[in-house]
Amino acid sequence: MIPDLTPTQILTLTATVLTAVSLWLLLPRGGGRFARPIGVVLGLVALGLFVSRLSGLTNLGLGAEGLGAKIVFWVLAAITVVSAAGAVTMRSPVYCAIWFAMTLLGTAGLFLFQGAQFLGVATIVVYAGAILVTFLFVLMLAQSEGHAYYDRVSWEGLTSAAVGAVMIGVLTMVISDALAPTVPVDKADQAAAGEVVAKTAVVDPSTEEARAAEILSPQHMDHLGAQLFSKHLIAVEVAGTLLLVALVGAVAIAIQGKQMPKTAGGARHG
Amino acid sequence: MGELELLHGYLIIGALLFGIGLVGFLARRNMIVMFLAAEMMLQGISVSLVAWGRFHNDWGGQMLVIFILTVAACEAAIALALVLMLFHSSGRLDVAVWQHLRESNQLPFVDQELPEAEVEEPVWPELTPAGVEPEHSLDEVVHRGHV
Repeated sequence: MIPDLTPTQILTLTATVLTAVSLWLLLPRGGGRFARPIGVVLGLVALGLFVSRLSGLTNLGLGAEGLGAKIVFWVLAAITVVSAAGAVTMRSPVYCAIWFAMTLLGTAGLFLFQGAQFLGVATIVVYAGAILVTFLFVLMLAQSEGHAYYDRVSWEGLTSAAVGAVMIGVLTMVISDALAPTVPVDKADQAAAGEVVAKTAVVDPSTEEARAAEILSPQHMDHLGAQLFSKHLIAVEVAGTLLLVALVGAVAIAIQGKQMPKTAGGARHG
Repeated sequence: MGELELLHGYLIIGALLFGIGLVGFLARRNMIVMFLAAEMMLQGISVSLVAWGRFHNDWGGQMLVIFILTVAACEAAIALALVLMLFHSSGRLDVAVWQHLRESNQLPFVDQELPEAEVEEPVWPELTPAGVEPEHSLDEVVHRGHV
């Protein structure tokens, strides 16, 4: 037995192991009939364990308004994460793309919830509207019928799932530990927590409030555009150039690909 | 909902998106799904950045996400052109086709056994019969099974 494990560490460890097993069961491979339902159940349990580390869920001592905001947040979070798991584990690439669209909608909702209106809309327009449709176009061009054999197997399913789960576990633990001291757990900790909060707030409170009002102001686009085209003007120019280069590059690659002779036996089954 | 709880929740969601995308990128063999998983990792980063921007009352997070969107669009354009070119020259979207690009001291990967394709029962729409049901010709019934 490893002696020095706090309950939260054991919790995170369990959640990590459960995530790994559930992702391994969900990933496409030649498995039994019950692998996927078990994977779904284990994944939901693991998700619940990760969520239970969040303090926001447990102290519901707020008014009806705070409760509503919490419900909206948790619904958006659940949509995002569950459909992300679906996008990664579905066998058919078209289903993957559609689940990914759900993830994007959830992310856009999360951006809106944070007051980032422009990003919420831009995510839907650019990602779901342009990038995802391009993905689907390529899928239609490349894969006309049925499921291909390489959609039914995965590389080293258990190892990949374990790597991802360890990544999630470590990130969760680090984030929770880094943010934990500032969350007052009981009254004895509140003084210490107050100190930490005071330390993090380096900026003068009055300007801090003014800036908070700015980032959540109704004239969101005004402020965002002013920032983008004053402080980040050179970056905007570079990004525009990058888009142009990518456009030319994509066209060049596509044309060159067309002129290439078809090698490899010309076996064009999907 | 306190600012700190909000930040905590967003960072956890970002970590989950990143980790799940990582699993997808490592495990899947379809090149298009691999790129979808890479985009998902970018989404996880974007969620974290927006949350930090809100927490620190700074526009930097949102600015960086705007540029992430730009770069993701460029990446998708070039990646899909490359995927199409690779598909034209090999006939499939499998990354294992390109394993001859590996290091010279690595063993080649051979598929041990491929799982059987799942045969799904086709689901036909149920229509309410309007009038007398005509006699079905056997040819038509057999033909519809292959649609």
